[in-house]
Amino acid sequence: MLTYIVKRFLIFIPTLIVITLLGFMISVNAPGDPVERMVSAAESGDALNSQTKNQQEQAQYWTHKLGLDLPVFYVSLSSFAQSDTLHKIYDRNEREALDRLISKYGNWKEIQTYYQQLNVFDELQFTATADSAILHGPDRNKILDQITAIKSETIQLKASYEDVIIQNKFKEIEQMLQMYPFFAGAQQQLKSVQESYEQIIATASPWKNYIPQLNFYSNNQYHRWLFGDGGKFSKGLLRGDFGISYTTKEPITEVIFSKIGWTLFFSILSVVLAYFVSIPIGVRAAVKRGSHADKVSSLLLFVLYSMPAFWLATLLLITFANPDVLHWFPASGVKPVTGYEEGVGFWNKVRASLPYIVLPAICYTYSSFAFLSRTIRVSMLEVLTQDYIRTAKAKGLNDKQIIWKHAFRNALFPIITVFGSVFPAVIGGSVILETIFTIPGMGSETINAIHTNNYPMIIAILTITSMLTLIGFLIADILYALVDPRISYK
Amino acid sequence: MSIEKENNSKNFKGAWIQFKKNRMAYYCYKILIFLTVLAVIAPFLATDLPWYCKYKGTRMFPAFSFSNNCELKDPQNGQTERIQYDIADWKHMDAEQIVFAPIVYSPSKSDYDNSDYVGPRDKQVFVTSDGKTIDMPIRFRHWLGTNKAGEDVLSGLINGTRVSLLIGILSMSIASLIGIFLGGLAGYCGDKKLHNSRGVCWSMTLGLVIAFYYGFFMRSYFLKDAFSVSNSEALKQVLISGIIFSMVLFLFFIVGKLLERIPVLAKQIYIPVDSIISRIIEILISMPLLILIISISAIAKEKSIVNVMIIIGLTSWTGIARLTRAEFLRITTLDYIQSAKALGFKERRIIFRHALPNAIAPALVAIAFGVASAILTESALSFLGIGVPPDLVTWGSLLNSGREKFQAWWLVVFPGLAIFVTVTVYNLLGEGLRDALDPRLRE
Repeated sequence: MLTYIVKRFLIFIPTLIVITLLGFMISVNAPGDPVERMVSAAESGDALNSQTKNQQEQAQYWTHKLGLDLPVFYVSLSSFAQSDTLHKIYDRNEREALDRLISKYGNWKEIQTYYQQLNVFDELQFTATADSAILHGPDRNKILDQITAIKSETIQLKASYEDVIIQNKFKEIEQMLQMYPFFAGAQQQLKSVQESYEQIIATASPWKNYIPQLNFYSNNQYHRWLFGDGGKFSKGLLRGDFGISYTTKEPITEVIFSKIGWTLFFSILSVVLAYFVSIPIGVRAAVKRGSHADKVSSLLLFVLYSMPAFWLATLLLITFANPDVLHWFPASGVKPVTGYEEGVGFWNKVRASLPYIVLPAICYTYSSFAFLSRTIRVSMLEVLTQDYIRTAKAKGLNDKQIIWKHAFRNALFPIITVFGSVFPAVIGGSVILETIFTIPGMGSETINAIHTNNYPMIIAILTITSMLTLIGFLIADILYALVDPRISYK
Repeated sequence: MSIEKENNSKNFKGAWIQFKKNRMAYYCYKILIFLTVLAVIAPFLATDLPWYCKYKGTRMFPAFSFSNNCELKDPQNGQTERIQYDIADWKHMDAEQIVFAPIVYSPSKSDYDNSDYVGPRDKQVFVTSDGKTIDMPIRFRHWLGTNKAGEDVLSGLINGTRVSLLIGILSMSIASLIGIFLGGLAGYCGDKKLHNSRGVCWSMTLGLVIAFYYGFFMRSYFLKDAFSVSNSEALKQVLISGIIFSMVLFLFFIVGKLLERIPVLAKQIYIPVDSIISRIIEILISMPLLILIISISAIAKEKSIVNVMIIIGLTSWTGIARLTRAEFLRITTLDYIQSAKALGFKERRIIFRHALPNAIAPALVAIAFGVASAILTESALSFLGIGVPPDLVTWGSLLNSGREKFQAWWLVVFPGLAIFVTVTVYNLLGEGLRDALDPRLRE
């Protein structure tokens, strides 16, 4: 048995790898720039240069911390013309512009020079050569405005890749620089930027783009995401570190740990309840096949089965948690708004929470309950027509013995196998139910994360719920082995 | 050949007769037809545009017209007046003749006089053109009330039928195409059928990478730009990429065939199709579907109903694939396939003429259940406000708007009922199909 469990675990590994890959693919393709989100709004202050400088440094810091300056994956396909250091540029727009330039001209060396010149130009202190008298004179605001305009033009230039646009930007910046004499130094630099751009066109070698190249990286974003970077910024998913939340900058693992409790509580409670209630009902319906009770329960179960959980939940809320109709239960939360009273024991806490739990528990349970009862009924019906049941009857055994000892044990297999599908359904359903009942669990956290574009959280939840599902499968397998003596799993 | 065809049609006829005997399923089939008709005619049935209007001597058919405006010429003074259909105030127009649609409201247009949750039995008001507030004329009543913005619930329900049925049918078409293809492939080929020489396998593996490079990687910016220009441009570029891709791949195939002549490379390699596909299915089912769909729709750049359909379709084919696979596995061992093989029929003929028609029946059942769950998933998504554009009125979004105010029971009961009925109909239909197609259950 133990070897079987170990084997099963080993089979999970490739599945898990693919799941993490999928999660990683989703997070890489997520729209928006994570660095931009992490860089806090710049502090106010009129020192424009230092402000942008500060932002850039922050951006660089976060890029490094989130590992975005690494290549994406172990293997990458690129062209012979492309550089393997392009991924170090942290600004997405700039990176794309450079990449497009490469795919057009194919000479990375010259493009690199151009980019470096452009950076030098961007970092110039425009006012360094200026007379302090002018700077503090009446034109001060005008000059600062001008500098801001030039800066923004430069940023746009960095992100442009079409020849016409780049030439245009050159012209515009040149005109702006001519406004004040102390911009002369900057003009010089612009000249060299222009020269390096012309160099790109002059030495273009687009043929290089037609040669494919495979690159291998031992240190990459995926690797770092899985294994961490030696504990500097991230410990890696395998050690339980899912990164930091984009919204609160807290470690995601902590957030999930504080939320997973309620989700697990409701899922496990509902599955256990569903099994306990459905077994007697399903068996009874099968034994009294065709009777009135069977027909009524069949219909009722079917209705329950196709009832959308969010509809039932909302209906329950507007009838039983509505001050105008019946106010038996509170409408949201899992415990009193004021929290538990201080120093109360466990059972008192349970008592305080009980009214909050009733409605969600019903909604969590009913659909798997209906599904299970129907499954049990069908499998019992099939077993009851078997020859050995007739033999047992002929032997003179009483009904109770036949049903529970002979028939039920054999009818158990299908309901054990469906455990593997009931459990993920319950976890997935928690997304809706937790939102409706405002339960502070993983489901409502998912919705929060979606609405705030908090991708690391979404991926973490996807990965964790998948792992829980896999564990559910494992439990189903083990139970199967326990019930069925024919299976030895060797 | 003709016997076999007859047999097939007989089989389906028998199933149909059996299906008709199941009264419940047959009623559901009829309800489904009704819902489909409703979905098709919904934009004409529930719209604030009148079907027919005669105003100042000009006849108009706003609800059926493709253009959005009409020029009126006053016969007395020759002045022209322009009426824009979608913003004209039809209810207050003193037209000579006007015929409204049965439901006189459009789903996403507000009736400001009856906004802020007016119930079906509450007092509804109508402001006449001279500014007097009177009781709502029975013709203009909101039969199922309004929501906070004053949008008519009944109209939203009728137009929501469209979205729901479309989601169900289109996403399941995608899912069944993938599911039947992959399931059939896995079941029919197994692990030991599909094989090729080492030369071809290795050459094709390399060829895939190279073809991807020339077809898609090098053209990635062309494709990206084309997508931002227009859909037809994008389609064109994707087509070009596809052609390049397949041409390069074909080239490598020929190279592989040539390499086969070298004895070392002529050794056969078996491709474990069944294992690969089964693994993929296993991985997909181990992710909670709703969370997976939510995660994927989070990265979709724009919210659109088409995206939701595609995402649901791409993630819910596993059930169909598993059933088709099992059925193919069973069928390929049956005598008639063996004899077809013995007769020397081509593979293609065996698969499409003999195996597929028999394997498709269980898949049909899974598809019916799949439609139900796709509708449920979509309404859950729009209930949560994820993936579906906010201005689109669907059953789920109507139901969600009822959550803000518990007194507005009509916003909860009716949309929920619509979802429930549709889902139940598809589920019952699936059960009916299953019973009808299973010969063991036939009387």
